[in-house]
Amino acid sequence: MNALKKGLAAMVAAVAVAAVPAVAIGQDGPLVTADWLQENLSDPNVRVFEVSVDTGVYERGHIPGAVNLAWHTDLVDTVRRDIVSSDGLEAILQEAGVTEDTTVVLYGDNNNWFAAWGAWVFDIHGIHDVKLLDGGRKYWEAQGLPLDTATPEYAASEIDLPDEAAPLRARLSDVLEVVEGGADVSLVDIRSPKEYSGEIFAPEGVQELSVRAGHIPGAVNFPWGGAVNEDGTFKSADELRAAFAAIGIDGSKPIITYCRIGERSSHTWFVLSRILGYEVRNYDGSWTEYGNSVGVPIDNPSGTVWGRI
Amino acid sequence: MHPAIRFGLPALIAAALGWGFLTLDGQGPEGRPLAMSLAFGAAFGAVLQRSRFCFYCNFRDLIEKREASGVIAILVALAVGAIGYTVIFGAWLPTPALERLPPTAHIGPVSITLFIAAFAFGIGMVVSGSCLSAHFYRLAEGSVISPFAVVGALVGFGVGFLTWNPLFLAVTSNAFILWLPHQLGYAGGLLATLAALAGLAVLTIWWSRPQAVGTPAPVTGREALDRVFIRRWPAVIAGTFIGAISVLAYFRVAPLGVTAELGSIARTAGTGWGVLPSTLFGLDGLRGCATVIKEALLSNNGLFVIGLIAASFVTSLLADQFRPRRLTGVDVVRGLAGGVLLGWGAMTALGCTVGVLLSGIHAGSASGWVFMAAMTVGILASWQVGRWTGLSGRA
Repeated sequence: MNALKKGLAAMVAAVAVAAVPAVAIGQDGPLVTADWLQENLSDPNVRVFEVSVDTGVYERGHIPGAVNLAWHTDLVDTVRRDIVSSDGLEAILQEAGVTEDTTVVLYGDNNNWFAAWGAWVFDIHGIHDVKLLDGGRKYWEAQGLPLDTATPEYAASEIDLPDEAAPLRARLSDVLEVVEGGADVSLVDIRSPKEYSGEIFAPEGVQELSVRAGHIPGAVNFPWGGAVNEDGTFKSADELRAAFAAIGIDGSKPIITYCRIGERSSHTWFVLSRILGYEVRNYDGSWTEYGNSVGVPIDNPSGTVWGRI
Repeated sequence: MHPAIRFGLPALIAAALGWGFLTLDGQGPEGRPLAMSLAFGAAFGAVLQRSRFCFYCNFRDLIEKREASGVIAILVALAVGAIGYTVIFGAWLPTPALERLPPTAHIGPVSITLFIAAFAFGIGMVVSGSCLSAHFYRLAEGSVISPFAVVGALVGFGVGFLTWNPLFLAVTSNAFILWLPHQLGYAGGLLATLAALAGLAVLTIWWSRPQAVGTPAPVTGREALDRVFIRRWPAVIAGTFIGAISVLAYFRVAPLGVTAELGSIARTAGTGWGVLPSTLFGLDGLRGCATVIKEALLSNNGLFVIGLIAASFVTSLLADQFRPRRLTGVDVVRGLAGGVLLGWGAMTALGCTVGVLLSGIHAGSASGWVFMAAMTVGILASWQVGRWTGLSGRA
């Protein structure tokens, strides 16, 4: 009996030792590599979230242990046009077992497009150290790394998010202060060149429209896809710094990024703010708010007129 | 049939299918769902053709000839699929809490529109001789009506897009979604589904008359080949295969459906010609066989249907069942008219016997049951009209 007890005690001790988390280190900075993530997946202090645009991709195979976030319900206020509240995100994080010591990693499809938006939302609500998996889902799959279809369940945690939002968000009034008030801020429009020039109102097939074409006066154009490599990973910090410097964005003054509905521009927000360390706010009202606003200045080099046949 | 055609052509088609699968699969993560769709389509087509899994013909055999086996195959397929779906749902969505639905499952809206659409679909089945999935595999059996039914269905889809907005504003926007696991939990939902299917099976067997069965021949190599490649597969085996394919396809790619690509072709063409409304209210937010404007030549559903037709040609030719008969004017009219009803019904109901009835009941959605009921009423009503008018209404 004693021998059995001793044996059990030894086993428990062994399990306990094995379960002591290897400290999640080696990835300071805003990105984690696929290799690092794979090695640290079993670390209870690492929590992975998938934020994908396409429905059903998470369920048919996700990074083992990753929690699904539906961007159109979990991360937004479904009634008014706003991001999820601090309380709402807190509930999600608690359910996913995230504590203040957890390393939070986000990834998603389409070159981390919505994952970067998720990172912006997380950062606003106090998870300032949120990271992205470099290359996102595309890179992970292309490397042939394992996927899982089971939905993980974690013991609920205690985490208290600050009520006050981090100043990472620009509102229409902030943008107008730049355009009309002369505030010394750079504007970066990350839509396609044809949207920027006003040649088209929006890409084909999108629901959200603006009744004016063009861009915010003074904004420079940097299509968001220019920040990633063919394999979905981000370009190096040096390449990114040079590319933005070439259009006059060098971090010497604050920056506001925008697109059509504020999601793609989060990707550029991530690049400028988290990878290059510039002071950046994302204007999530973006062109669907600005271009629909009455009486605001617009630059429309193409001269397209809404409704003219 | 000349042996060179009977065996050579299937070999060629099978080789093409294999080449297509490997080529798509070799394209990495983007190509894999396409390759899987082709494979699932081929499996589905082969089983449909080998077991003559035709919703309409099986139902007619039961009512008119009192043969139960075809309908039993359908009921088995529904039961097997419902079990498999429930297992997957439990993994993907551990609590079937309100507000959330399992991704992409065909848990469609229930409304008067669905009833009318499925009713029209039932009439279309009687007029054209079968439903859309059966027309696809019957192309491989040389059916002279089926090509016209497919063309008619394309037109029907176009009509469906034209009537969508008024119908949506009047009726469909008030539709509700009834997902059994929301009300009863996974276990309760599955039990309710299986109990309903068992009830239908009892009714089926009660109505049917035992068929004369010869003593089964001893299984020799020749007999085994005959059973696999020549004779109709037994009902329970066919149903089990269909149910399993449905579950596996949902797990890897999407729920089974055969009309999304047809609808997309009709919508793309109609929008291109400027005859269809550019906005279809609420359509993209509803579950079912989604019809999107085509952006890429190859789509999951397109490859599924190609696989279906190709594989049924393989099995049909091998079984020497490609038997076209002389085309008549009546065939053309019935194919086109029935096809229009099938297409309009499938567009308005967001799917057909496969996409709404099969994939819906598998998913525990009330929409599948409503489709089944309304389609049955449509079939029975058409027969009645056929008797009154003296038109036989038979394929």
